[in-house]
Amino acid sequence: MPSSPSPLDGPADGLAAASALRAIADRLEDAEVERAMRAGWSWSQVAEALGVTRQAVHKKHLRRLLLAQIELRRRVGE
Amino acid sequence: MNSLFGADRMALLVSWELGPSVARLFEVEAKRDGAKYIEAEHMLLALAGDRDGGAAKAMMESGLDHDRLEKALQDERRRTLAFAGMSAPSTDLVKATELESPLSFGTSAKSALRRGLIATRGARRGRRARIRDTELLVGILQAELGTVPRALAIAGIDRAALISRIGEFE
Repeated sequence: MPSSPSPLDGPADGLAAASALRAIADRLEDAEVERAMRAGWSWSQVAEALGVTRQAVHKKHLRRLLLAQIELRRRVGE
Repeated sequence: MNSLFGADRMALLVSWELGPSVARLFEVEAKRDGAKYIEAEHMLLALAGDRDGGAAKAMMESGLDHDRLEKALQDERRRTLAFAGMSAPSTDLVKATELESPLSFGTSAKSALRRGLIATRGARRGRRARIRDTELLVGILQAELGTVPRALAIAGIDRAALISRIGEFE
């Protein structure tokens, strides 16, 4: 079995950075989707700004937005 | 195997075997870090904060208390983000409403628990053997790559030496 590479050198820094950036992006998305919905954005507007489908935003964020007691705009008449 | 090591089963094992106060500390540390999952570094912080435990005493023997560990993790994050030309964002910038408890275990935490349980079974062959905090510490410290070994390397902590000393504190 090959010995384990150093946790600090070579690709370890880059891989750790990729993982850390993913976590930050995830948290930033949570916070900014919440901010947009508080400001009255529609699901479709949020989805368009993120470059993903409306369904994807809904699936990922609905539970937290309900918990945050944000008044959500209905699809009809968005 | 999958059902045994599922997140719920893990949570149950930890709450039974380490006591609810330490298990609750995992979540406190994860939330303080703004994390969505409990990871190995949060468990390590919780063990360091449980000063009466054998794990904390073993860490102290190597000069690793909660404050030093927290600083090591901050240094690790700084170094990691610097690689990508970034500094840590303000916590205000990335604050969303927290989902209710309990948080799930992340991959690094599950791996550490799995290794800790293997250590438990190796030491005590009983089917209902309970994991000790020192065995969980071994499981956390056995990770060769990832946030915990990076932070400890940056802090100049010799993981192998610490692991070999843990037996004295059980």
